[in-house]
Amino acid sequence: MRLEMGTFPVHTITFGSQTRYQDGHLEVDKAAVLEAVQHDPRIATVDLEIAYPGESVRIWPVRDVIEPRFKVEGPGVTYPGICGRSITTVGEGRTHRLSGMGITEVSSVNWHDAGGDYVEIYLDMSGPWADLLPLSKLMHLCVVVEPDPGLGNEAQNDAVHKAALVVNDQIAAATRHLTPPEREIFELRQVDPTLPKVVYIWCVHSPQAMSGSPTAFCTATYGLTQLTPPWFLHPNEILDGALTGPYRTAFAMSWTVANNPLLLDLYRRHGVDWNFVGVIALRTEWTTQHEKQLMANQAAKLARQLGAQGALLTWDAGGNEFIEVVRTIQACEQLGIKTVFLTSEDDATDAAPTMLEPLPEADAIVSTTFFKTRTLNLPDMPPVQRVIGMQQKAIGPLRDQLVPTAGSLPPPPRYDDHYGFTTLSCIEY
Amino acid sequence: MIQPVRVVHFVNQFFGGIGGEEMAHVGVSLADGVVGASRALQQALGTQGTLLGTLIGGDNYVSEQRAEAIAAITGHLQNLRPDMVIAGPAFNAGRYGLACAEVCKAAQALGLQAVTGMHPENPGTLSYPAELLIVPTAATSVEMPTALAAMVRLALKLSRGEELGPAQVEGYLPRGLRRVYDRQRPGYLRALDMLQAKLRGEAFVTEVPMHAPERVTPATPIADLSRATMALVTTGGLVRKGNPDRQVASNATRYYRHTVAELRSLSGNDWEAYHSGYFNHIVNANPNYILPLNFLRDLEDEGTIGGVYEWIYALPGVSTPVAIARRLGKSIAEDLQAGGVNGCLLVAT
Amino acid sequence: MISAIYDLALTTGANRVIRGARIEHVCGDPNLGPEKDYAYGMRIVRTALEAVQTAVTGPTLFDPMDMALEREVSHAS
Repeated sequence: MRLEMGTFPVHTITFGSQTRYQDGHLEVDKAAVLEAVQHDPRIATVDLEIAYPGESVRIWPVRDVIEPRFKVEGPGVTYPGICGRSITTVGEGRTHRLSGMGITEVSSVNWHDAGGDYVEIYLDMSGPWADLLPLSKLMHLCVVVEPDPGLGNEAQNDAVHKAALVVNDQIAAATRHLTPPEREIFELRQVDPTLPKVVYIWCVHSPQAMSGSPTAFCTATYGLTQLTPPWFLHPNEILDGALTGPYRTAFAMSWTVANNPLLLDLYRRHGVDWNFVGVIALRTEWTTQHEKQLMANQAAKLARQLGAQGALLTWDAGGNEFIEVVRTIQACEQLGIKTVFLTSEDDATDAAPTMLEPLPEADAIVSTTFFKTRTLNLPDMPPVQRVIGMQQKAIGPLRDQLVPTAGSLPPPPRYDDHYGFTTLSCIEY
Repeated sequence: MIQPVRVVHFVNQFFGGIGGEEMAHVGVSLADGVVGASRALQQALGTQGTLLGTLIGGDNYVSEQRAEAIAAITGHLQNLRPDMVIAGPAFNAGRYGLACAEVCKAAQALGLQAVTGMHPENPGTLSYPAELLIVPTAATSVEMPTALAAMVRLALKLSRGEELGPAQVEGYLPRGLRRVYDRQRPGYLRALDMLQAKLRGEAFVTEVPMHAPERVTPATPIADLSRATMALVTTGGLVRKGNPDRQVASNATRYYRHTVAELRSLSGNDWEAYHSGYFNHIVNANPNYILPLNFLRDLEDEGTIGGVYEWIYALPGVSTPVAIARRLGKSIAEDLQAGGVNGCLLVAT
Repeated sequence: MISAIYDLALTTGANRVIRGARIEHVCGDPNLGPEKDYAYGMRIVRTALEAVQTAVTGPTLFDPMDMALEREVSHAS
């Protein structure tokens, strides 16, 4: 699998008479783009708005941030499988991306209606919350969209995410016939056989158990969110968006998945520091010990079959999903595969352990600090001048107080740097 | 001019020059003059510390007659009135390590500062997690000068009221007290560095040391179940239907108790689950899945159990900080004990 | 303690752990139909009552589905 990635850096975005990219400037034909979105009769209202880093702007609710990517040559489409898109295997040919920006899905639609999982993320373009997040350094082309309220929740999720993907296609396709200013070849070429083989075990939450539905919306592998056995993914498939869709935190967006620095550095140092054999996507939150251990055993088996001598693990959730992850670490170590686990930490008050299950095999852990914003002692975020999206937000432990989004707001509950973008960590006294 | 810190040294029978294993039974005594390993400690302290005396306790005596040993040590410390107690180093001697832990704890109880040293795998490191300053040492006393130097350095810093830095910086065993810290290098690079080191067999330091979970002595079994009162507790987020108590769905800071004195079973008409960590609808239809009241009532009728405690306890066990969970669990246990409960079924989701 | 993710309970130090059915329905299984669901739930509760009458020295699993109700689990710590 050989993928050529062409990058078009975006420095400014404006609305104009055509959708086109020129010398870092993206012009967007708003009417044409909105019309494309509105082909879907499930869409009730949609608008586009632009937010720049540094502005006094808050975007709420942020369901996903998608990097514009489009396949120019080769089979399939970017962000395959989700929202009815082609499931053709991706990762070959040539893909164009627009860097420095995101297409941001803003809608009141919640993940599922079984309770318990709520859209929590807002993005500030300036201020303390912005300072903490890589996403706030991007320009955002916001798709503010609401579906027909008569639709069931899953249809609503499908409709609004599809709207964002339609915008993705419209925007990214503007580069179709252009020559990318930056090009990079991604290929797992043959390398020195003495280099250690390394696999990346990428643990991803499935909403099936929480929602009671196998088709509930969440981070997807080729559009599937349900609990499935481990997947082998070539990293090119991830660059083409095969692992996509949001979960709960600002670090679990399509943008952060496609721009995962751990994945990219692993890939770029293939043939230099190791032999990168690929990605195992492990879906988590099975609800019996039996199933969790089975996934761990199978993921470790797959890693061994790939010849892995080392494995990196990340995850994106916060509760009993940890069990699949730590038992995969244990199973790998028992097979002689050396593991490193990149993770955030839970509340350490009164010297409490910050990992759910303390298995001794998890002896090499990199911490991306506490995931609860309350434990980080973050202040309430200051008021802003402009809100993109909903003008009111529910807050409080029972989520029953409505306050103006533009006013002072407590930070979203979770920070949670899943992929090690930042330098924050913890240290022990 | 800074006053020299006033130190009492605790050692076992061997390092106190009394004898070997055959003298492990000796009680607590204050040595006559500077003896055994205390000479090395006095050297390490130099002009910065004054050794007031050496307390010697036999390894077996301190572990088998703990209360008497601690009382004796406490008495001596009250007489000697040091600022600082230095215990050991115990290296990998297990009973000695446990004794050092007890001595440090007793010193702290008197408001004194305390430092000890032992091998990281010495069971003494498990006695009082989070409370003691323990310098990690080699396994054997061949490394006595290194170990003492490290212990003295830490003790002097403490005595001067200086704030201690993180464990791996200052050279003591991590105590589980974790704080936000900027490592200046992004997490993904640190992860790849750590992987390279591990693959090459080079040394690396985990950023999250795992601590052994606490062990609790199991309660004695119930002798006669047919006369036992059984209680029911759940972390499945059981609430009265409509959640009139306004319990939260996660991050609970309290539990609620409800009377079931008149109830044979929990009905979905009157109860539901409000817990953001699992799919609640199945329990909403039959709340007994997370609080098996109906079964206990049938067993009560059958005469298998004596009775069902009239209070049930519920909270949503999701995102609860461990510190809060400990507090809530202790409170429920105290309630149950006061209520004459013999056994408890705790259902977790 | 009755839990479907029983190993976690054992590794974190709960001394008497009974294997539950599934997180979403710990004491029983609605898929079995009312009679067998009740029988399963009762078996779980009886196993728990066995456990509180049994002397243990550390974290121990009591599996309602085992013929022998007790299996001692040792953990490195």
